[in-house]
Amino acid sequence: MSSDHHAHNPGFISKYVFSLDHKVIGVQYTVTSLIFLFFGFSLMMIMRWQLAYPGESIPLVGGWLGKYLVDNNGVLLPEGYNALGAMHGTIMVFLGVVPLAVGGFGNYVMPLQIGAPDMAFPKLNMASYWVYFLGGVTMLAGFFVPGGAANSGWTSYPPLADIANTVGTHPFWNGQTVWLLGMVLLITSSLLGSVNFIVTIMHLRVKGLTMFRLPFFVWAQFVTSFLLLLAFPPLEAAGVLQLMDRAFHTSFFMPEGLVVSGVVQDQFAGGGSPLLWQHLFWFLAHPEVYVLILPAIGIVGEIIANNTRRPLWGYKTLVYSVIFLGFMSFVVWAHHMFLTGMGTAMSTFFQTTTMIISIPSVVILTALLLSLWQGSIRFTVPMLFALSFLPMFAIGGLTGLPLGLSASDIQLHDTYYVIGHFHYVVAPGTIMALLGGIYFWYPKVTGRKMSTFLGHLHFWPSFVFMNTVFFPMFMVGLAGISRRLWDQTEYVQGIDVQGWVRMSSWGAWALGLAQIPFIINFFYSAFAGKKVNENPWKATTLEWAAPSPPPHGNFAEVPVAYRGPYEYSVPDAKEDFHPQHVPDSQLV
Amino acid sequence: MIASSFWLPPDISAHGSQIDIIIKYLHWFMAVLFVAWGSYFLYCLVRFRAGANPKATYRDAKAKPSKMAEVVVIIIEAILLVGFSIPVWAYYRSEPPGNDANPLTVRVVAQQFAWNIHYPGPDGKFGKSKPELVDEAINPIGLVDASEDPNAADDYVSVNIFHAPKDRDILVRLSSKDVIHSFAVPLLRVKQDAVPGMEIPIWFKAEKTNAEAQEMMKRAFALPASPEGEEAETFVKENRLRVTMADYGSVRKGSTLNAEHLKTLSAAGITSVELAPGFPVNIQCAQLCGLGHYRMKGQMKIYEPDEFEEWYASAGEEEVFDEDEFDDE
Ligand code: HEM
Ligand SMILES: [Cu+2]
Ligand SMILES: [Cu+2]
Repeated sequence: MSSDHHAHNPGFISKYVFSLDHKVIGVQYTVTSLIFLFFGFSLMMIMRWQLAYPGESIPLVGGWLGKYLVDNNGVLLPEGYNALGAMHGTIMVFLGVVPLAVGGFGNYVMPLQIGAPDMAFPKLNMASYWVYFLGGVTMLAGFFVPGGAANSGWTSYPPLADIANTVGTHPFWNGQTVWLLGMVLLITSSLLGSVNFIVTIMHLRVKGLTMFRLPFFVWAQFVTSFLLLLAFPPLEAAGVLQLMDRAFHTSFFMPEGLVVSGVVQDQFAGGGSPLLWQHLFWFLAHPEVYVLILPAIGIVGEIIANNTRRPLWGYKTLVYSVIFLGFMSFVVWAHHMFLTGMGTAMSTFFQTTTMIISIPSVVILTALLLSLWQGSIRFTVPMLFALSFLPMFAIGGLTGLPLGLSASDIQLHDTYYVIGHFHYVVAPGTIMALLGGIYFWYPKVTGRKMSTFLGHLHFWPSFVFMNTVFFPMFMVGLAGISRRLWDQTEYVQGIDVQGWVRMSSWGAWALGLAQIPFIINFFYSAFAGKKVNENPWKATTLEWAAPSPPPHGNFAEVPVAYRGPYEYSVPDAKEDFHPQHVPDSQLV
Repeated sequence: MIASSFWLPPDISAHGSQIDIIIKYLHWFMAVLFVAWGSYFLYCLVRFRAGANPKATYRDAKAKPSKMAEVVVIIIEAILLVGFSIPVWAYYRSEPPGNDANPLTVRVVAQQFAWNIHYPGPDGKFGKSKPELVDEAINPIGLVDASEDPNAADDYVSVNIFHAPKDRDILVRLSSKDVIHSFAVPLLRVKQDAVPGMEIPIWFKAEKTNAEAQEMMKRAFALPASPEGEEAETFVKENRLRVTMADYGSVRKGSTLNAEHLKTLSAAGITSVELAPGFPVNIQCAQLCGLGHYRMKGQMKIYEPDEFEEWYASAGEEEVFDEDEFDDE
C-alpha cells in the first residue's frame, strides 16, 4: 500500500511541500496548527482588553483592526467582539487543537509507534493536510469579506446564523457563508484523516505488536479517529443545510412568522426547527470534546510512563476506559441543551449518561495518578507539562459536574462558569499536554533536544498564568454573568466582579508573553540544540528504535515487537528499560 | 455586595435555595476530592522523586483505597443526581404553576434586543398577535386590534420592565420574534431559552420585593480620598449605584451616585457611603443573539401584592417609561 512512493528520489517540492511522507505531513500539520493557535489566542488577547477596560481604545493594535472590528477610536465594536469570539472558538478547536493533536502528533508519532513505514494511504494523508490548509485559509478569508467575519458564535445557532451577515453584504461572499464553507472543508479533511488512521492502526502494526501491546497514545488516536469518523458527518450535513438556508432560503432551521428588526422574514417558507441544528451540532461537538482531550491524555500517559520509569498503572483499565468514554460520548450531547425546553424524562436520561461518562474519566485520572506511586520520578520539561495536566484536567472535569446536573445548570448554563470549565479541559489541560508532547518528541523529529532552561522559563509562567486566566471565570460565572457579552458592566453583578475580569485579562497577556521562550526554543533548538542519540529519554516504544530524524521509510530494518509498551524497571534487570523491539536474548 | 455565598447573587425566589444547595454540595464535594487527590499527588512528587527513590517498582501497587474512592464518587454522584437534581428539575419544569391557584400569567416575547412583557389585562385572556402587524415603535409584538379580537382590548405590553407581585406564582409563556434568546434572571434562579416557533412555559415565585432585594445587596463603600480626579471618576463610573443611606443635603436616598454627590459628601467630611443597585433584579439575555446581546437587559419590578394590583389596574392607561430611572439601574 505505501511502498509505491519509496522508490524514487523526490525533489524539493514533493519532499517538503506536497509530501506523501507522514513525518513531513505531521510537521506541516504541527507548524500550521501552532500558528493558528497563536493567532486564535491573539484574538482573545484583543477581546480581553474590551472586557477589562470596556469602551476604551485598544492599545497597540487598535488602529490596525479595520472597520468591521473597531470604530474610529480603535474601540472594539460589539459586532467585532462577536466576530472575534466566534473566530477564536472555531480557530482554537478546528484549526488549532484538533489538527495539532491528531494531524500533528497522530501523523508523526503513531506510525512510528506501530513500526510502520508510513500511513496506509499516503495520498489521502497529503489530501487531508491540504484540504485542512484550504479550510483554514477559507476561515481566515472571512475577516476580509464585506461585513467581516462570522459573528454568530462557534456554535452558529440558527435562526441567528441563518440571517447573520446578510444585510448589505455579498450574498455568497460574506462571513457566515464563508465560515460554513470553511467548516465543510475542515470536516472533509478530518474524515480523510480518520479513515487513514483507523486502517493504519488495524493493518500496519509490525509483527508481535498485538492490540494490547500498543502504546496508550495509539489507543487514544484509534478511539479519537472513530469519534471523528462517526460524529462529523452529521455536522457536515447540517452545515450544508445551513448553507442552503442562507443561500437559497430553504427553511431547514427556520420556523415561520419571524420578524427581524421589524421586517417579516417571508423569504423563508418556514416550518423548520432551530433546535434541529442544535441536535446535529452537539451530536458532533460533544464527541469533539473527547477528540480534543483523548490525544492529550495519550501523550500524558507516554510521558508519565517514561519519566516515572515504571509501567502505566492499569494499562488495560486505561484502554477499556478510553473505549467506554468514546462510546458514551455519543449519548450525552443534549446536556448542552437542558434549557431549550427539555422535560424531565429527557433531562433525566442525559444527566444520567453524563454522570456515567464522568466515571471512566475519574478512572483514567486515578490510573495516571497511581502510576506515580513507587515510581522514580524525573522532572524533565515534558514531565512538568504532563504533571501539570493532571490537577488542571481534574478541575476541568470536576467543574463539569454542576453543568451536567440539569438543576445546577439552570444557574450556570451560558455563563462564564462554562467558559472556565471547558477551558480548564482544553487549555490548561490539553494545551499543556500538547506542549509537553512537543518537548518530548522534538529530539525524534530533529535529532536535537530543546533547551531545558528555556523550557523552564516557558513552563512555570505558563502554569501560573493559565490559572490566572481561567480560575476567576468560575467566580464571574457563579455571579451570574452571561458569556459572550461585549460589556459585562452593563449589569450590576458585572461591575462587582470587574476585579476578577481584569485579573483574567492580565493573566492572558502575561500568558502570551510566556510563550516567547517557547517560540525561541522551538526554532533555535532545531539547529543549535544539543545533539542526541535516537533514544535520549531511554524510552521503550518503537518510535525510539528509529534513527532521529527517521529517514523516509522510518526504520533501518523492520522492527519486531517482543513485549508490551512500558517495560520499565523490570525486576532483576540491569537496565531500567526494556525496549519493545529488543529480543530477550539481547537484553542486558 | 452582590454575592451572598459561593459568589452567587442573593436568591429571592421560592425554588432557588434548592438549586443553591446542589451547587454548594457539589462544590464541597469537588473541593474534598481535589484536595484529596492533590495531597496524594504532591506526596508522590516528593516521596518518589528520582533522588529519593532511585529504583522504581515494576508491579502495580494494589489500589484498594482508590477503588474505594471511586465507589464513593459514584455513590455521591448518584445521590446528587437522584436525590437532588432530578426532583428539583421535575419541580422546576412541572406543570406550572406549582400549587398556587391564582397565578399571574404573562407572555414574554424576546426580540433583538429587548424583552416584551405582554399582560392579558383584567379579562385574563391574551389577544392574538400577527407578524405582519409588528411595528417596532408602537406595536412590538403585533397585537391585533380590539375589533378583530376583543381579548386584545385590555392587553398591556411593557418593554424591558417586568412588573410582578411577590409571593404569587408567575407563569411565563416564553417565545421569541426573531432569533434564540435566553431569559435569565440570576436573582430568581431562572433561565430558559426563548426559541422562535415555540412557546415554552416556565414559572417562578419571588419572595422579595425590589426594595427588600436592595436591602440584601446594600454595602458601605469607602469614598475616594479626593472628590475630583481620576480615582473619583472611576469610582462613580464603576459604582452606578443608588444611595441607600438617609438623605444628606442634596444627596437623596434613592438617587444615583454622581460626581456632585461626592463633592457634597467630601466637603462634609463623610468618608463612606452606603450603596445598592437601583434595579437589583435584572433580566439578562444568556444566549448570543446578535450585536446587542450584551445590552439586552430588562428589569424586574417586584412589588408587594397590593401594590402590584394597583399598578396593574392602571397599567393600560399611562405608559410612563422613565428612561432615566431605567437607564442608570
Ligand atoms: C489559552 C488561551 C485561551 C484563552 C485566554 C481563552 C479565552 C477565552 C474566553 C475569555 C472566551 C469567552 C469569550 C466570551 O464569552 O465572550 C473564550 C471562548 C472560547 N474559547 Fe477560548 N481561550 C483560550 C484557549 C482556547 C482553546 C485552546 C480552545 C479550544 C480548544 C478554546 C475554545 C474556545 C471556544 C470554543 C470558545 C467559545 C465559547 C462560546 O462561544 O461561548 N479556547 N476563550
Ligand atoms: Cu458535552
Ligand atoms: Cu438576546
